[in-house]
Amino acid sequence: MTLLERMAPPEIITTNGHLIDYLFSYTTIMNLIFFFFVCLGLFGFSYLYSSKRSAKGEYTYGNKKKQQAIVGYLIGASVFLLIDINITRMSNDDMLNEFWNFPKAEEEVIKVEVLAQQWMWNFRMAGADGEFNTADDVLTNHDLHLPVGKKVEFRITSKDVIHSFFIPNARLKVDAMPGRISRMWFETTKTGAFEIACAEMCGTHHYLMKGRLHVHSEEEWNEWYNEAQNLADIGNDNDNIDNFWGWKWESEQ
Amino acid sequence: MMTKTAENIQQKEASQLGFYIALVSWGMLFAALFLSYALYRFQNTQWPPMGFEKVSLLWPCLSTGLIALSSFTIHKYQVAFHSIDRKNAKVFLGSTLFLGFAFLVTQKLLWLSLENSGLVTSSGIFASILHGFTWIHAGHVVLGLAGLIYLLTTLKSDHLGHVRFENRVENIIKFWHFLGIIWGLMFVVLFLI
Amino acid sequence: MTYVHGKHAAPKTFLSKYVFSFDHKVIAKQFLWYGIFFLFVGGLMAIMIRWTQAYPGEAFPVIGSFLFPETGGVIPPDTYSMLFTLHGTIMIFYAITPILIGAFGNFCIPLMIGARDMAFPLLNMLSFHIAAVSGIILLASLFFPLGGAAGGWTSYPTLSTLIGSPGSGQTLWCLAIFVLGVSSTMGAVNYITTVISFRAPGMGYFDMPLTVWGLWLTAILNAIFLPVLGAGVMLLIFDRVFGTTFFLAGAAATSGTGDPILFQHVFWIFGHPEVYILILPAWGIVSDILSFFARKPAFGAKSTALAMTTISILSTVVYGHHMFTTQMSPLLTQTFMTLTMTISIPSAVLFANWLGTLYKGSIRFDTPMLFSLGVVFVFGLGGLTGLYLGTVSTDLYLHDTYFVVGHFHYTMAASVLLGGFGATYFWFPKMFGRMMDEKLGKIHFWATMLGLNGIFFGMMVMGFAGMHRRLYNPFVYEHLEKLLPISTFVTWSAILMGFAQIPFVINCVISLRSKKQAPDNPWNVGTLEWTIPSPPIHYNFEEIPTVKCGPHEFGNPNLPEGKDFQYQTEDLVKA
Repeated sequence: MTLLERMAPPEIITTNGHLIDYLFSYTTIMNLIFFFFVCLGLFGFSYLYSSKRSAKGEYTYGNKKKQQAIVGYLIGASVFLLIDINITRMSNDDMLNEFWNFPKAEEEVIKVEVLAQQWMWNFRMAGADGEFNTADDVLTNHDLHLPVGKKVEFRITSKDVIHSFFIPNARLKVDAMPGRISRMWFETTKTGAFEIACAEMCGTHHYLMKGRLHVHSEEEWNEWYNEAQNLADIGNDNDNIDNFWGWKWESEQ
Repeated sequence: MMTKTAENIQQKEASQLGFYIALVSWGMLFAALFLSYALYRFQNTQWPPMGFEKVSLLWPCLSTGLIALSSFTIHKYQVAFHSIDRKNAKVFLGSTLFLGFAFLVTQKLLWLSLENSGLVTSSGIFASILHGFTWIHAGHVVLGLAGLIYLLTTLKSDHLGHVRFENRVENIIKFWHFLGIIWGLMFVVLFLI
Repeated sequence: MTYVHGKHAAPKTFLSKYVFSFDHKVIAKQFLWYGIFFLFVGGLMAIMIRWTQAYPGEAFPVIGSFLFPETGGVIPPDTYSMLFTLHGTIMIFYAITPILIGAFGNFCIPLMIGARDMAFPLLNMLSFHIAAVSGIILLASLFFPLGGAAGGWTSYPTLSTLIGSPGSGQTLWCLAIFVLGVSSTMGAVNYITTVISFRAPGMGYFDMPLTVWGLWLTAILNAIFLPVLGAGVMLLIFDRVFGTTFFLAGAAATSGTGDPILFQHVFWIFGHPEVYILILPAWGIVSDILSFFARKPAFGAKSTALAMTTISILSTVVYGHHMFTTQMSPLLTQTFMTLTMTISIPSAVLFANWLGTLYKGSIRFDTPMLFSLGVVFVFGLGGLTGLYLGTVSTDLYLHDTYFVVGHFHYTMAASVLLGGFGATYFWFPKMFGRMMDEKLGKIHFWATMLGLNGIFFGMMVMGFAGMHRRLYNPFVYEHLEKLLPISTFVTWSAILMGFAQIPFVINCVISLRSKKQAPDNPWNVGTLEWTIPSPPIHYNFEEIPTVKCGPHEFGNPNLPEGKDFQYQTEDLVKA
């Protein structure tokens, strides 16, 4: 494996993950240009004006109008216009159009409730009744099964300490906080098995809080869902109050 | 070269300035508490939270009266210190100390009455705030009382009005007024509104 | 305060001279040794952390079997959490703060502004002793049942409440931080007052060296924002000890429970200025040293000072970028993102002025200068990588990954450490009256520079590849397995950087033991501390100097032949 391959981020499996990579690349290029000039100055001046080559320093305070104008324009143009304004605008657009643009109530969405706990991920999908926190919910832990090409919305909370629901392949993470419900959505584009991580320090076994994301083709997923639901009817321990950790899904939360 | 008196003046100015900066620091400690309070209140649609009632104003009002009065008496002590009026200095420092202790007693009674009405520390955020914030303030009052007790040494015959004690007297008095103001804010924020 | 300037006789006994000293120069040295001791402790912890990252499950060499006998020398996961928690805490609060602010703040401020001592020497002494108590509490917490704090240096609740960390370690951690906060606030009050009230006659604010500017702004931020952290940890202590519920919230959130996110707000209201609290002194020192060794007035010194002031002000309103993943309201998020971006403007002014200082100078590459140039380089990398984290959408991916770790180590650790070393080499002759060896200093610089870039750039690479923070064994994740070689490289860079400090220690010891007295002004610099003997006499100045010109008067063409600088006490030479 080459170094570049090792350095590469995980493969993107969502429709909007590339936006983040794009912004990252844009910022990187801008940074490289800027840092190139810093290094040019740093090493170039160090070479040109070392005491061997330049016996005496120029006597200037750098407070003349012309000098300050150069500094001002250089910074104004290069830093503010090229970098700051642009990446703020791009990021803001991405957030408004994609990451904060949660699926509307009428859209067909796979809904998942997530409960983080030390050190496990619990997932809940509504059963045939379409309601959450009922006896026929499909409950899984560690493993999350999703169909490809569908929008998925997550509602995430935590039972004990703060965790962070991180899907590297989707480039997204959001904190799972006790007492609050946070949201996340994406639309998958690739099938396969991927990893879900906890990105916020949550105790000794934080590193073992690893989940699995299985993205299936639609037929496969339907099969899985039907089977899981049949199992739920028999297998769910409905006397156990702890199994009813879910809550009613409200379209706007 | 600066004369000794000039250095004294410089030191006095520095002492005043330094103490004001220290008060800003202390103020930020309490400002952080008030900020937390504001956030808790905005997050809860109902305040006091469900199942709780407003706290009886008896002890908080009494505390407020006592600490306001003590601010007045300590001001009188300050005047007496500067005019080298030993009798008044004694009377007013003594009564400030008394009022300070009385304030702590009313605080203790407040905590007891809170617990009697079911607001123990672990019964939710409302009780936590009432207890925790007043504890922090009371802790500072204890600190202030230590300063007042130290001021008793100024009552010695030739210490009143002495330049050596001036800065310390001024600063301890400022701190005492500061505690009064903070209590006033807490009274309004925690108990009235 | 019991003590008026100019009244105190020089101390005679050992205790009054070295332990209970009112003298700012002695207190500075106390802080220096304190900081260097903790730097060693924190550094050792860093090596242990790195070891588990490169060789998971393998025994830590040499001292491992002594420290962790139950596991045969392998660092267990709970200990690992304690290590990174205490590494962060120690490096920030117990190593960098004492060295840059405690030691150089105490040493430089009175000397550079022409004062005989700090405004409140008693307060100054207490400030060190309280810091010492705090250090003892922190180290003692490790020996309590269940060990020290293990919730990260940010100690977010509810992990840091009794739910996530039982035992007294976390409580003692909070207490230690609170006590240290008291000490630092005392120091800060002292510094601010000293700068305002005890500047030598004739010294306006813009005649102060930029070092003093940096330290002064740091002190202001400290005085304002440390109490906020104090309030936060105090409430945390209440939660842990008295059963209050400030930061507790359950999954069944009914009205009236606490809020763990509140602690994050309070923590970062303090925490973001803290970043600048650490870096501002280094910026000041670097701005001065670049001018001193380029033999040229600091380019735009006034705008450098104003840029530092602007950054200090901006730093107070951008803290929300640490909390993007907590899903604040979009409006708040956008505001914090935009405000964060504006910081790049004054930062760019600093860079422009630093490069402007070098331009057409006559640069001497003594060790302090090398370290300062190093700061410009690493701070450039650190500052620019901040852009990714200030932008919300890239932060969604990079938040809490090694990219963040690399970024903040570049800004807070690498720059500040290099700045601190530069300052040590620069003021060592004034502090101890001995020169440090240049050759060892240069070896120290290049080895450190190589090591730290290897570490922190490697970390950023791993972060972009998706490796998140604080994992005992990251390689349980399949997508991170490929990063093992990079992780190993980072570890060996860390070990290199650790060994790179040996020349520094040798240098210190040799220099301190040498008989050769340093000249009064070895670097030919005109600020006030170089007008007096090395080391300065008790009370610094026989007579308070009068300041007649700025601190960076180099290369004035009107100066007589063979002289390229003038002292601040001399009238500005005009044609």
